[in-house]
Amino acid sequence: MAKKLMKGCEAIGEAAIHAGCRLFFGYPITPQNEIPEYMSARLPQVGGTFVQAESEVAASNMLYGAAGAGCRVFTSSSSPGISLMQEGLSYIAAAELPVVVVNIMRGGPGLGGILPSQSDYFQATKGGGHGDYRLLVLAPSTVQEAADLVIDAFDLADEYRNPVMILGDGLIGQMMEPVEFKKEIKPEDLPEKPWATTGRAGRQQNIINSLYLDPEQLEAHNWDLHRKYQRMAKEVRYEAFNTDGGCDVLIVAYGTVARITKTAIDMAREKGLKIGLFRPITLYPYPTEALVQTAEGAKSVLVSELSTGQMVEDVRAAIAGRRPVGFYGRVGGMVMGPDELVEQAEKLVAVHV
Amino acid sequence: MDAMTMPTGRRDAYEVLTAPIVVLVGHFGSGKSEIALNLAFGMRERGRDVSLVDLDVVKPYFRCRLAREELRSKGIQLVAPEGDRFYADLPIIVPQVRGALSRADNENARVIVDAGGEDQGARAFGAMSDLVDPARAELLFVVNTRRPFAGDQAGLTSMLRDVEAAARAKVTGLVANTHLMEETTPEIVRSGLAAARELSGATGIPVRFCAVLRRLLDSLGGVDCPLLPIDRHVLPPEKRSRRGPIGRPMGI
Repeated sequence: MAKKLMKGCEAIGEAAIHAGCRLFFGYPITPQNEIPEYMSARLPQVGGTFVQAESEVAASNMLYGAAGAGCRVFTSSSSPGISLMQEGLSYIAAAELPVVVVNIMRGGPGLGGILPSQSDYFQATKGGGHGDYRLLVLAPSTVQEAADLVIDAFDLADEYRNPVMILGDGLIGQMMEPVEFKKEIKPEDLPEKPWATTGRAGRQQNIINSLYLDPEQLEAHNWDLHRKYQRMAKEVRYEAFNTDGGCDVLIVAYGTVARITKTAIDMAREKGLKIGLFRPITLYPYPTEALVQTAEGAKSVLVSELSTGQMVEDVRAAIAGRRPVGFYGRVGGMVMGPDELVEQAEKLVAVHV
Repeated sequence: MDAMTMPTGRRDAYEVLTAPIVVLVGHFGSGKSEIALNLAFGMRERGRDVSLVDLDVVKPYFRCRLAREELRSKGIQLVAPEGDRFYADLPIIVPQVRGALSRADNENARVIVDAGGEDQGARAFGAMSDLVDPARAELLFVVNTRRPFAGDQAGLTSMLRDVEAAARAKVTGLVANTHLMEETTPEIVRSGLAAARELSGATGIPVRFCAVLRRLLDSLGGVDCPLLPIDRHVLPPEKRSRRGPIGRPMGI
């Protein structure tokens, strides 16, 4: 397939089809409407099914049913809609079902605004709904990476029987970049799911469940899940950029802010200041060890997010006082310019280096 | 080469665009806003009294109203909702739109209308197309064949007809705008122009001009079509030279 010029949202939709997904259940919300729009146009062309659910709560429970039946399925929404889906996501995590959920974040809390934000980091990486559970969270910073990560997300969801979230800010969903799809998986070529509820003819019954009234059983189930999340730790992904030979300031940023940081690196170089970038691609599991190692070569660390400070808590826990850690955030749909990051890096250097 | 000159022997899109009102329609992401902004700045440089009407009620990011400050500094009148509705994706048509369209009666006036994508976006223009004398307006259908759903002729033709129905007006010209942003090559532009000509052959609507990134102008020798040099105004956040919210992406 020749390269196409796609919005992040469109590329996410096409990637799901390339991953062999034929089911989408969702409800519209800005700034990710292009995902349901795209799926509503494309799924009928490939024999799939698109349902505009009556609400996000309904969509998340449709996911539960389809995933329980062994199908690849996904949904997408933006911040307030993802909040509504939390009941279903908690049940899906409890029942160990593989689904892919895309959150194209907008400014909150509440209805907030429709412009880009990264203020759902806590919600995405610390559970989101009730109970002890985790999502595997992937954060793209380009349209091509969004497409590639969606395809990986379906494989990871199947491997761990766990919901996987693609966490992108509104700009990642709305910006257009050239995209290429290198592989296509046909639904019929996907590995079988022997645990799925596909009808019990010729075998013992399979049960998909999240209700455990016996406390011993529920405790055992929780520890099983916990051990699964520990096994996921090997999935960590990250990018270190301009960090060879150390740096004055290591900026830790994901998504759009990581893009802005790369421009800031060039601007700072002209001023004789060396900025490095550590970009987590998995936000859960968090690339803690790699961050600690990269930060050893840095004189100071600056975390920048489109939030008032969420990921910075994970960075501070990882760095554990070994380096000064500063924070710079913009919120509400405001986005920092590269010059702001250089200014903040200079301030950090003036105080600590 | 300054902004006003074209390579020798080349026709300029501005020479063929003589109608006082230019309305841009087309697929989502086909390049309407970027072309509208370039035409607005280009016509202003040529001494015209320019109004830019942002009628995109469909998509909230990357609309031409985001260039508000730069437009103002060049003396171009922007017609778009004000206040917090500036950022909304609600079907708001400000009354000034009708005023702008009917003001295009003095000889030096040029009104550029950036409609939203597809028939949904064109409907907003359709609601006031009665104000526009077809003899004084161009309805331009922008084509980028590298966009989803715009790669095949049947799809393009049916979208063009849907847009015409929603706009309650006939498309008078096609704009070849096939590109892959920074990855655009002269071959991509040429094949896009060929696809636009095929659509022209099928519909009888002429290709009015071909939009092309300014850096590619010199490598498009022998292209027999008026060219519109494009300077990118709709930029991702890391390309913005100075700070600003997404609502001010123009390096102001």
